[in-house]
Amino acid sequence: MAGLVSTNTFWSLWLFVHLILAVGLLGALTHQAMAVALPVRRSSGGIVTRFRAVPAAGYATAVCVLWVLTFLVGSYIYTKYRIYVRIPLEQTSHNRTVGFFDFKEHVASIGLTLLPAYWLFWKKAQNPEYDNARKGVTLVLAVMCWFLFIVGHVLNNTRGFAS
Amino acid sequence: MSTAAATNSRAAPSSLAESSKFKTFATTFSITGPVVYCTTQYFNWPLITYHPATGRLVWGYEAARAGEGPNLLWYGWTMTTILIAAGLGIIAMMLPERISKKIPLALVWIFPILAIPYVIYSLMPWWTHP
Repeated sequence: MAGLVSTNTFWSLWLFVHLILAVGLLGALTHQAMAVALPVRRSSGGIVTRFRAVPAAGYATAVCVLWVLTFLVGSYIYTKYRIYVRIPLEQTSHNRTVGFFDFKEHVASIGLTLLPAYWLFWKKAQNPEYDNARKGVTLVLAVMCWFLFIVGHVLNNTRGFAS
Repeated sequence: MSTAAATNSRAAPSSLAESSKFKTFATTFSITGPVVYCTTQYFNWPLITYHPATGRLVWGYEAARAGEGPNLLWYGWTMTTILIAAGLGIIAMMLPERISKKIPLALVWIFPILAIPYVIYSLMPWWTHP
């Protein structure tokens, strides 16, 4: 990429890829979480009902792939965050912002370890034995994903790569 | 009105998902994952340490070196967790099915919730730093 775009633009583009993947993941997980928490008995209704009435099982593989891809791209840009974003934040005493980003790292890794069982529970969706576990792990992953998204967004507002 | 959108959580199972060995591996991996991650972070057992300023990558833990910027441990903690959780999953696959089928599935979502207070506690210096 050398010569085509500046260093700041290069890392901002990767951050944008991370964002796009995260938006896709957030949408899929939120649909699924709504579908398991408030299952729809009748398909007609308003926009909220239709939001809950998606074929949620079909999202499971996409959620796993998106979580892994978002994780990998986030891990890649993390190297630049650690030097060009975190050090200035520490120097300006944005300690809670840095703390929340460390919290985000840990939540992302813990979420990663849940994916095999999450995928299995959705693939076993015809077996009611898995209903409660599927509901629980989907809601946990959805809450984690919203947390990761919000912390990343706030951190980028505090100090992005191009700052 | 049409009926039965309650079927929105139903899908045909895949062959991998039908395997009882894979079920044991996946549930063990996901149950132990959060516990192993917290343990790995507590005892600081990264599989690798990366120094982003110099591109230096070493096995295990290595402290930040003077004049060479910070060290990254998160990659290493995550790798250690995946290896140990996968190992435990493989060991669980060797258990008789009468034992492995008794693994409580609810632990898959209970353990990550229980891990959160520890994670918050482990970051205490950031919350209390003036």
